[in-house]
Parts: sequence; structure tokens; C-alpha cells
Amino acid sequence: MKCFDLHVSPAFSEGRSSPEQIIERARLLGFSGICLVDGIKNYKPHREIKSSFDTKKFGIFIGFEATKASDLDRLVGKRREFDILIVKGGDLKINRRAVETPEVDILSIPEYERIDSGFNHIMAKLAKTNQVALEINFREALNSHKSTRSHIMQKMALNMMLAKKFRVPVITTSGAFSHLQLKDPYILSSFGVLLGLTPEESRAAISKTPEDIITVSKEKQAEEWIMLGVKVVK
Amino acid sequence: MKGLKNLPLSLRERKRYIAFKIIPEEGEDFTYSDLQAGIWNTLLDFLGEYGVSRTSFWLMKDCWDEGQKMGILRCNHKSIDVVLTSLGMIDRLGDNRITFKILNITGTINSIKKKNYCSFKG
Repeated sequence: MKCFDLHVSPAFSEGRSSPEQIIERARLLGFSGICLVDGIKNYKPHREIKSSFDTKKFGIFIGFEATKASDLDRLVGKRREFDILIVKGGDLKINRRAVETPEVDILSIPEYERIDSGFNHIMAKLAKTNQVALEINFREALNSHKSTRSHIMQKMALNMMLAKKFRVPVITTSGAFSHLQLKDPYILSSFGVLLGLTPEESRAAISKTPEDIITVSKEKQAEEWIMLGVKVVK
Repeated sequence: MKGLKNLPLSLRERKRYIAFKIIPEEGEDFTYSDLQAGIWNTLLDFLGEYGVSRTSFWLMKDCWDEGQKMGILRCNHKSIDVVLTSLGMIDRLGDNRITFKILNITGTINSIKKKNYCSFKG
């Protein structure tokens, strides 16, 4: 089974470890590929970043994370230049914009710093239509403690219930800021089960769904692609 | 007086053995007692006393390989996911930063020993 971690922040982004350290640790843990995520501030086309790595033996993908609606607009305009577009949720408006935009691949932590879960049945339907995956971010649980952790996990479980009901794609990531926060695929898969996914769904959240996202992302980068389900055939 | 008679197979708890390896940061080291304290404290924090009692968790001291930093822990078959998630919550042992790598999960200890994940052959 090929496993992917599609949300890792290296040192050139907000993270603390170099891409080399992250790649080495991810390979050791048994991943087949990872996505190095950056913010819009340091925007560079992915080919410039990727050129320094050997991507033949280990899948390295470059993603950009939008935290505001204006960032999202800019990144949607440059969608063909990178692999994965992630939206960091939390604000209701950005959560809604993320699931309404077909160019977005992943909605990350819609429950971030909220009392409610930040995700409802209407957003779930939109996410399903636009194939925007909902992310389970392990770092959110790792970096919180006691009552905060229990609240976060409760909201994540609620979002997973909606995702299951409306068949929204789900992915599990470590959300690591350093190579030390990368987690074994077994651990990520178990975390999904704890949040209410079945073992099969949980395994798919680290293998099949990320693989599908990468495949669709390659289609989105092609010049023939216009929107979800529509492309130019010559 | 003889000890308790063994339970029939159908009534025994179904166990799972988890072989793990700990990857420490370069130049940092930890002892077995750090590992024991780290795992038990995290489990008790994350699951609570009642929760841990339901997992039948046990860290097998005889199977700890100090050189390769590999070990085996045991739990029941229903608790694998909570135990693995709890292990994921550990990022330090004492003052040392570490990462857990899960090597294998099996139903018998012999199958782990056959794969040489354990130096103890007793």
C-alpha cells in the first residue's frame, strides 16, 4: 500500500526542518510521497522548488496554502503552476469559499479556533460536488492538551460523520512543522478510526484518496483542463 | 495447591503484539525507564485510568532491544487504534526528541520473533 502525507511544512515555509530532513524521515517511516506546503508570501512556481530534489524514487509534491480569501483568489489564478492547493479553514467565509472552488484540493482544519465545527451539511454537499477533500490534521491533536484536545477531537469526529454521510473525500495528514512531527502511516490510520472512520476508510485516507488527489491535480495542471469534468479535446 | 486452570481458547482475550522501533534524534539518547515512563504517562493522559484498563496494555521489558531501539508492546485486539494513536502523541522521552515507527502488528509473539523484531528468544 502506497502512503502519502500531503501536508508538511518545511523550513522554506513555516516549518523548522529542511526538506532533506523531512524527506529522509518520511522515507524511513514508509511513505511513498509527501507534499511540501508553502504560503503565498514566498510564491515560486513548483518547478523551481522541485528542481533541487530527486523525484524519481520518492514522490515530492509542492502545495500552497491559502489562509485568506485574497490568497485563495491569487492561488486559483496560478493553479497550473503547482501540485496541491490547500485552504486553511477556521473562518466560515473561507471554509465556504474553499468547498465552492473546484480548483481547491484540500480543506484543512475547518474547526480551527472555533466553538463549532466550522463545517455543515451544505458545505459537505458542495465539497462532494467539487471534490474538495476534508483533512484530518494530526498536529492539531498533538499540539493540544487535556480539554482543548478533547474539544478538537470532538469537532473533528463531527466533521468526519458529515464527510462519511455525504461521501466527501477524507485525507489524514501529519500536518508536520518538522521532521519530528511526521507520524507513522499506522498511527495516522488509527487516528482516523478513532474519529469514526472504518478501518478501510481510514486506510484509504492515507493511500487511495491522496493518490486520487495527485492524479486529479496533474489533470488540473494540464493546459487542456478547464474545470472539473471539462477539458479541451483536440 | 495448583495454580488457576488455563481458560479455554474461546474465552481468552484476543491479544495483539505491536513491534516498534524508536528513532531518536542524532546525538540524543534515552533509557528504558524513560521509555516506560513516557508511554505510560501518555496513555494515562490520553485515555485515562479506565481507558487504559480496557486496553490490557503491557510493555514487554524482556523484548526491549537497547542497541536497535526496538521493542514490543501488547494490547487487546479492540484497542489497537487507541494504543497506536497514543504512541503518536509521544514526541519526547525525557529531554530527547523521538519518532515512533511501527514495524508490525501480529496476533502471536512468535510471529514477531520469527521476523527478528525481537532479540529475546526465550
